[in-house]
Amino acid sequence: MKLAIRVFFFLPALLLADQAGTSLGTSAVVARGDKLFAQGCAVGYCHGSAGAAARSPRLRGRTFERDYLVKVIRDGIPNTAMPAWGDRLTDDDINALVAYIQSLATASGDGPAPSETASLAPPVAVKDSDLSPDVRQGRELFYDPQRLQRCSNCHRVQGIGTPVGPDLAKLSRAQLAAEAVNALKYGRPRRVQGIVTKDGDRFPAILIERGPSETRIYDLKAIPPVQRNLPTTEIQSIQQPSGWRHSQAVQSYATDELKAVWTFIRWVTERK
Amino acid sequence: MTRLLTLSLLIGSALLAQDGSTKENWPEYGGQNSAWRYSALDQVDTSNVAQLAAAWVFQTGDNDGGLQSTPLVIDGVMYVSTSHNRVFALDAVTGKRLWSYIYELPKTFTTFYGPWNRGVAISEGRLVMGTLDNHVVALDAKTGRQLWKVNVEDANQCGCNITAAPLIAKGKVIVGVTGGDSAHRGYLNAFDLKTGRHLWRFWTIPGPGEKGHETWQGDSWKFGGGSTWMTGSFDASLGLVYWAVGNPAADFYGGNRKGDNLYTDSIVALDVETGKLKWHFQQVPHDVWDWDAAYEIVLAEIPINALPRKVLINVSKGGYTYVLDRTTGEFITAWPVAKNINWIKGVGPKGELLGRNEPVVGKPKLICPSIGGGRSWNHGAWSPKAGLFFTTGIEWCEEVTAQAETPSEGKTFFGGTFKLVPTPDKKSGGHLGAYEPLTGKAVWKYEYKYPLLASVLATAGNLIFTGDAEGDFFALDARSGKKLWSFNTGSGHRGSSISYSVNGRQYIATPSGWGSAVAGLMQQFWPETEQFPNGSAVFVFALPEQKR
Repeated sequence: MKLAIRVFFFLPALLLADQAGTSLGTSAVVARGDKLFAQGCAVGYCHGSAGAAARSPRLRGRTFERDYLVKVIRDGIPNTAMPAWGDRLTDDDINALVAYIQSLATASGDGPAPSETASLAPPVAVKDSDLSPDVRQGRELFYDPQRLQRCSNCHRVQGIGTPVGPDLAKLSRAQLAAEAVNALKYGRPRRVQGIVTKDGDRFPAILIERGPSETRIYDLKAIPPVQRNLPTTEIQSIQQPSGWRHSQAVQSYATDELKAVWTFIRWVTERK
Repeated sequence: MTRLLTLSLLIGSALLAQDGSTKENWPEYGGQNSAWRYSALDQVDTSNVAQLAAAWVFQTGDNDGGLQSTPLVIDGVMYVSTSHNRVFALDAVTGKRLWSYIYELPKTFTTFYGPWNRGVAISEGRLVMGTLDNHVVALDAKTGRQLWKVNVEDANQCGCNITAAPLIAKGKVIVGVTGGDSAHRGYLNAFDLKTGRHLWRFWTIPGPGEKGHETWQGDSWKFGGGSTWMTGSFDASLGLVYWAVGNPAADFYGGNRKGDNLYTDSIVALDVETGKLKWHFQQVPHDVWDWDAAYEIVLAEIPINALPRKVLINVSKGGYTYVLDRTTGEFITAWPVAKNINWIKGVGPKGELLGRNEPVVGKPKLICPSIGGGRSWNHGAWSPKAGLFFTTGIEWCEEVTAQAETPSEGKTFFGGTFKLVPTPDKKSGGHLGAYEPLTGKAVWKYEYKYPLLASVLATAGNLIFTGDAEGDFFALDARSGKKLWSFNTGSGHRGSSISYSVNGRQYIATPSGWGSAVAGLMQQFWPETEQFPNGSAVFVFALPEQKR
């Protein structure tokens, strides 16, 4: 359903762009596509210069349906190296790229010499204008790649992260209203249990599934958490409570930073 | 007194010498953790190799990206990984499948750095592998049952993943990451082999307050590349892990990362217990050509001034082979593996680059070798018997146009475009050479019309094995380079051959299966290679029973 709505809004924009291209002369649109292609598509692991072959298929001298190109550029091709560009390119950009790739259909298999293009503008950035500074800061902290210990090690939000801990987009109003930073610092989640194995290892863990032969857990002794499949016979005991505190997972954050993270979580929940 | 000292040094060195040769088993990615790719088996030799015949073939069923891995053999069982993180355990005598494992990838997933996998590591009955979505998994080597799995970093966020084989050293799984052509900060991680718990991380780009951080401009360290996309080596006697670090990002544009950009394009020596840096040697300060130092690190003992010395040998993508003292990191020598090199005039006596020829913004410039490298990642071999290092080299150039680019986390970050062009002498192609490690003198060279993109295997039978783009897997005499045997496997070679034995019979095994980024790149220059078929199979050869 979501996809259908996107396509519905998307197509008129493309048609408009196409009409504009025709009336202004398609060469301007193609030239724009040429620049975008050189910057984003003709890179090492992907397509070759001017649509020549590289790791990805040759585009020169081949004919593609327009709708196919639009879909592939926007949504990517799952399980291949072709990423989705829908979140990075505008409709006009995609239209220009399609026009450019289609213009290569009559080109010979060998690429021409690269055109002498001036330095290009930076790529289109993700729009952050709808976010408050607090939310933006919280989001950066939540996913901060410079910290070994970060929230997304254990929580998946907006498709990024490992879903070990609860889905934060589904927190209740009561939970949201609670003194959040204290919970982040001092909370003792009940779902974290203490496992003792027969060889004497003790560690906090989240139980995923306990079967007769195999017990699947998330081992929380180190960050990032490890999904382990232990033979059930190797487990001596499972204890509750484990003594594990959420503070152990957020040691890398200062209190002010945790406040910003919480602002981001509220924003995610409210959007939902 | 001096003589006594010399003698004790000699004995000490001999005792510490690391035997990196393989025998019945091929237990590690590079043969042993010293990456020699040299088998001490000599049943197959120059006198009988012409009788070598296929013993069995295993088809993996997944051709995407070809077959780029190094099979491992332990006690009569072969383990081979393929694209999309599939692992097969095979009877090494018959090729019969014992178990298979298919890693479950997310349903919608794009793999920018390719679908391939280059190998696994096995120790203490556990097999470990890095995955396309940036996890490390451990399997029970007997059954293929998954034991643990840990996410290094969300692949959708970092635009990175793992294609290289891990290195196991002292019960630690040490594993690198791709991402050097993305806006990403590289690292190396160590996990506990038994539990999967994280033990240490070495950031290849120092953070604020760390030594070397001052070699990065502004925030450029956050997105500066420095991937660790191949497998390192380990010297147990020194307790040091050696890893080669890839290029800084953006590849061709350095205007917003002024400085040396440590530790990109560097060899780093790390304490295996802590991951702390012991020493580093940077080959290319402030790289603007995409010259990874990422390839294999061969740990050899070579006499220098009559004294055996622990050295390491590393071929860089820029076309130079570096020889360093691996105890101290001291530069010993560097010599070219390709003739067509114009990005520098040479390497000075201290390892410094002479006469840099950098790409410019907005204007194409001829650079040799091409981005595919004076050699690609496919590994060389060190034969202590021959005292020679065998490696491929490539003659090709490119026109690079640099362009200013601002980083966007996890997205591609190249800073330019390129197009392959012929070498000035119009003799583009590949070769395999036998080199004296200290002088770089080629004892012989085997020439080929296309780049040679498969690793090299050396054996005590005075044989050198490798394969070519057209599917020929062949043996050369290690002393002369003369071709003694060849067999066409029907698809080109991009993986790494090995040798092993079971019940006294020596086998030579090779992956066959054309593919990879560089194989794709070749189509720009050699359009007919677009028609070369992909494949993914392991071919195993042995002498006929009555001949041995």
